[in-house]
Amino acid sequence: METVELPLPQPKPNEALVKLAAAGVNFIDVYHREGRYKVPLPFVLGQEGAGVVTAVGAEVRSIKTGDHVGWAALLGAYAEYDAVPADRLVPIPAGVTDQQAAAAMLQGMTAHYLCHDTYALKRGDTGLVHAAAGGVGLLLTQMAHNIGARVIATVSTEEKSKLARAAGADEIIFYTQSDFEAETKRLTGGKGVDVVYDSVGKTTFEKGLNILRPRGMMVLFGGTSGPVPPLDLIVLSQKGSLFVTRPTLGHYTITRDELMSRAGAVFGMIAAGKLKLRIEHIYPLAQAQQAHRDLEGRKTTGKLLLIP
Amino acid sequence: MKAIRVQHTGGPEVMELAEMPTPQPKATEALVKVAVAGVNSIDSQFRDGRLRTPLPFIPGQEGAGVVTAIGSQAKTVKVGDRVAWSGTLGSYAEYVAAAEAHLVPVPQSVNDEQAAAAMMHGLTAHYLVHDAHKLKPGETALIHAAAGGVGLMVVQLAHAIGARVIGTVSSDEKGELAREAGADAVIVFTKQDFEPEVKRLTGGKGVNVVYDGVGKATFEKNLNVMRPRGMLVLFGMSSGPVPPVDPAKLSDKGSLYMARTTLAHFTATREELIARTSALFEMIAQGRLNVRIAKKYPLADAAQAHRDMEARKMAGKLLLIP
Repeated sequence: METVELPLPQPKPNEALVKLAAAGVNFIDVYHREGRYKVPLPFVLGQEGAGVVTAVGAEVRSIKTGDHVGWAALLGAYAEYDAVPADRLVPIPAGVTDQQAAAAMLQGMTAHYLCHDTYALKRGDTGLVHAAAGGVGLLLTQMAHNIGARVIATVSTEEKSKLARAAGADEIIFYTQSDFEAETKRLTGGKGVDVVYDSVGKTTFEKGLNILRPRGMMVLFGGTSGPVPPLDLIVLSQKGSLFVTRPTLGHYTITRDELMSRAGAVFGMIAAGKLKLRIEHIYPLAQAQQAHRDLEGRKTTGKLLLIP
Repeated sequence: MKAIRVQHTGGPEVMELAEMPTPQPKATEALVKVAVAGVNSIDSQFRDGRLRTPLPFIPGQEGAGVVTAIGSQAKTVKVGDRVAWSGTLGSYAEYVAAAEAHLVPVPQSVNDEQAAAAMMHGLTAHYLVHDAHKLKPGETALIHAAAGGVGLMVVQLAHAIGARVIGTVSSDEKGELAREAGADAVIVFTKQDFEPEVKRLTGGKGVNVVYDGVGKATFEKNLNVMRPRGMLVLFGMSSGPVPPVDPAKLSDKGSLYMARTTLAHFTATREELIARTSALFEMIAQGRLNVRIAKKYPLADAAQAHRDMEARKMAGKLLLIP
């Protein structure tokens, strides 16, 4: 990653040119950079940003110059300007800053679909959240807590446990010190949890199936420890007629309506003070390399932003 | 009493009619005179050893009949009650001793044949459309083997909910049965590839849910005919087990859900068992759920019943009459 001078993008008829106030740093950026996810070279990194519209294409009606907007899941946000399809831009309401918007688009909408749609948590449900002090984890814990669910959180350190507790976790498991399978069984009186939200993958998946109640749901939404090996489906019936899904944000923001309502719900929670964003570090755009090093070092417990 | 005995596992021929001692009910059991015993694919799996049980044994998991004696601590049933059950090995017999927790009362308006057929197939269909994936009016469901025992029930229940039902069947004749049960569209999979046909029928969108008791033969294509966030409910594997699945496939194909379900987890409590059977019996009594009896066999012809079931020629429920 290097900072260079590039031509200003020109918005196509359906696009808007946005001057970025902040770009979010995400693990998917690392995968793009490494080539694990393929993108034609050369390219501008970044999947998430927020800023002000400075020009619109001829066909754009939904937004206008001067609007504050956020977006996610489109490449090109590590830049001063980005041309973005207007139907992927979400207006940022009063009460939410551009930096907050940039920090919440991917992880906030991910947490939202996980607990409202993939498995719609209800008051009284019990959910296990792995990596609860991570970016999505802290947001998911807050949302699950606000719904009235009981949250069992796995974390690696004392410092992270404090963050998870502050986010509303009812129980904390230090997975580095105790076996989360045995501990979750104990905490649920042997019953198991209704849902497991797992972004860790390889190292946690198998045990996750053992702590689900009959007819419980395994939501695998990432694989930071590596991919989960192929699954013998008979295991699902043997362990209690279990459900498994592997969701991605794109399928939960397919229509403009869904994108708007999901982003709107997240912004609404932020503006109302019900969802606290933890912006841990803000880097100048030129320090994108350092931001990636910090993210990959797994020392971070909150959102990293780049400011052009 | 007369019963079917299996002394060693194998093909249908290992089932022989034998004179065996009438079982004695234990404290929380009841002795039931079997009026009809249901034939299910799980019986084949016990018979050929895919599912294990100590030998010798009497096959059969389900039936309906009348209580003739009760154990000292049985409280929920009494002599003379008409009852139905599933999950009780030993039902291919004149008498079976069943745990009282497995016995459900059968109302007068439902006959023994209907009651027996409503147990495994009916209960399975009920949990599929109401719990495994709670079908809503306007949703589209694909049901494989739609003229089979479970299939015909799923089609009727899904139709009653107001869902659009696409059924796959092996012959035109079975297609007609599926249509009569309420299928909106039928695909004869021996003539047409179901994948492009489901896509065509749904305008490229795909279905909300696939109910699949077939397994290996249909699995991969199922993943291609579901809309994003669709649900695949695998409740049987009549064509063989599905090879292990890479979870990444579920996200690639549209953040899909997958479940592998068994009836026991959907009738785990007495309340749930009674609620489901009551709902089914009420629909049967009101004529809103039609139980199709494919064929009735004398108990001695159990082997032939298994042959017919395994040949997949039958549409509906096979019953043995002791």
